Amino acid sequence: MSAYSERRLELGGVEIALYEAGQGEPLLFLHGAGTATGFDSLLPLAEHFRLIVPHHPGYGASADDPAIRSVHDYERHYLDLLEVLEIGNLTLVGHSMGGWIAATLAISQGERISELVLAAPWGLHVPEHPTVDAFSIPDAEVAGYLTADLSVFAGKAPDPPTPEFLADRYRELTSTARVLWQHTYDPSLARWLHRIQAPTLLLWGELDRLIPVGQLPAWRSLLAAADERILPGVGHLLFDESAQASAAIVEHAHRHAVR
Amino acid sequence: MDVLDDIQFYVMNCHHYADIPAHDERFASSWVDMPNSEFDPVRGHEMYERYSRELKLIEELGYDAIALNEHHNTPFSLMPAPSVRAGHVIASTDRIKIMVAGVPLNLSMPNRVAEEYAMLDVMSGGRMEFGFPLGTGMEYWSNAAQMDPVTARARFREGLDVVLKAWTEPGPQRYEGEHFFYRYLNIWPRPYQQPRPKIYIMGGGSPETVDVAVEFDAGYSVVFTPIPVQLRAFADLREKCAARGRELAGEDIMLTVMAYVADTDAEAEREGRPYMERFFSWFHRVPPKYMTPPGYVTRANFERLASTRALADAQESSWEDMRAIGRIAIGSPDTVAETISHWAREAGSSRIMLNMTHANMPEEMTVKNLTLFASEVIPRIRTRTAVAP
Repeated sequence: MSAYSERRLELGGVEIALYEAGQGEPLLFLHGAGTATGFDSLLPLAEHFRLIVPHHPGYGASADDPAIRSVHDYERHYLDLLEVLEIGNLTLVGHSMGGWIAATLAISQGERISELVLAAPWGLHVPEHPTVDAFSIPDAEVAGYLTADLSVFAGKAPDPPTPEFLADRYRELTSTARVLWQHTYDPSLARWLHRIQAPTLLLWGELDRLIPVGQLPAWRSLLAAADERILPGVGHLLFDESAQASAAIVEHAHRHAVR
Repeated sequence: MDVLDDIQFYVMNCHHYADIPAHDERFASSWVDMPNSEFDPVRGHEMYERYSRELKLIEELGYDAIALNEHHNTPFSLMPAPSVRAGHVIASTDRIKIMVAGVPLNLSMPNRVAEEYAMLDVMSGGRMEFGFPLGTGMEYWSNAAQMDPVTARARFREGLDVVLKAWTEPGPQRYEGEHFFYRYLNIWPRPYQQPRPKIYIMGGGSPETVDVAVEFDAGYSVVFTPIPVQLRAFADLREKCAARGRELAGEDIMLTVMAYVADTDAEAEREGRPYMERFFSWFHRVPPKYMTPPGYVTRANFERLASTRALADAQESSWEDMRAIGRIAIGSPDTVAETISHWAREAGSSRIMLNMTHANMPEEMTVKNLTLFASEVIPRIRTRTAVAP
């Protein structure tokens, strides 16, 4: 299997870390609100795409950007990145908070998105199946909300956690609070999702305790062309928990390429 | 000049909800999410009455000031609105200074704080001083939607700018900031004291709050921080002020001290220590998460706190930790006078903020503590009979 090559670039004076693998059509992966488990689980996608995994400003190996105060600022940040990378059309995949950013980007950049994958996306207000307020989960229970399979943290999270590991998580939580402390959803997102015309795959873990799979029908009803795939026995960190998550993206791409 | 020449004693009454629930180990925290079904309004009324008696006694005993503070969602404090309490204290006292220390600016609108405080100053005929806290991390959890901890420091700084401009510059003014915008900043009434009442920044010792005190020519007070961190913050403040040509006076540094005095050291420890320990184990029972909401401290500061968790978790603190964090002065009049004089000189402070009502200490013990401190400790410090030169 291929490995990532890392590169650094500067966007608006902020240093960004970018991980790339594979060749072909560009696939931009927008991660969720944490980087602790890494992104090796995505590498199978590099067999079929030019896989691009940037760390958001304020997360992982990227620097902080105090100018980012909303999901829309992340949208503009990624418009900048696509321009610097000279990417026109692309497959866009977003997980969790990255799904929210991806949906926002796809609303304004519909013509460039050849395919969209929203994996357990954050951002829609579904009162019957509310997103758990991640900030309110007691520290000791966070891992259990993130995954149905605690072994995904093996070798990635020190046990017991070191002050450095905790401080890294605190920094990422701070970056998340910067955009999501006051609202853990975007009340106007439902109003604009119809603008997404690209074939869309809604990908979800059946056992997601953070963003319940019960939200999936609400997304499907608002999107023009959505397929769905629910992974049995899988929680919120679906790419870490199951190889089926990346495989589902490849299958979806093939189906739409053939059509 | 010796700071003891100008020393003044403020008494802070935090208005604890003094009834500690049976089997209190059921509650992981006495802040933020402590169920308010444990609050009994009739008992609450009795406690306000009791604290009113203590506040009147503080004036009668000759202390210099009464201090009132604000907290939310916690039995630590029956005072989510200290200005309401201050209005009552103004009416029930005659001469004593009153310090409201105070509304975290991010919990209100700064123009409202400016006019509310100006109202107290005019009502009291200029007896007010004000402390401006950023607010503990717990206040940000308790008021989540309105108070984003990530931008808290920036809004605090700008909010203070609004308050001071509203107090000292003629209105109406237009104010265009990053967080606040006013078309007509024009408070009625304006403060009684000119150009403005004395202010203190209430910090936790971080360089960021020290910077605010420097920028706005404010006094500075550190609360609930180990003594070495307090001293570092005072040194930082002194150095930064000097760089701007301002020489700090003793009245610019306020020391918070938990005090209990009895006839002998042994008696004081036997009587007072259980309540002081109870203060830490119950009223200061705060999970680390609630102390540091996301963005409230920097990543580096967080890592430092995570490395010294014992200090953050009062339930695991030793009596020696508590003494350093709370600046606990306990013992005979000689011992307490000596301890406070030493701390005041070491910090260059002539404003001592005393906590005298500890945890669920009965009223008669508080009265004894206040009385003995006023009659035996203050004269010793002022005349230095128990104080090494």
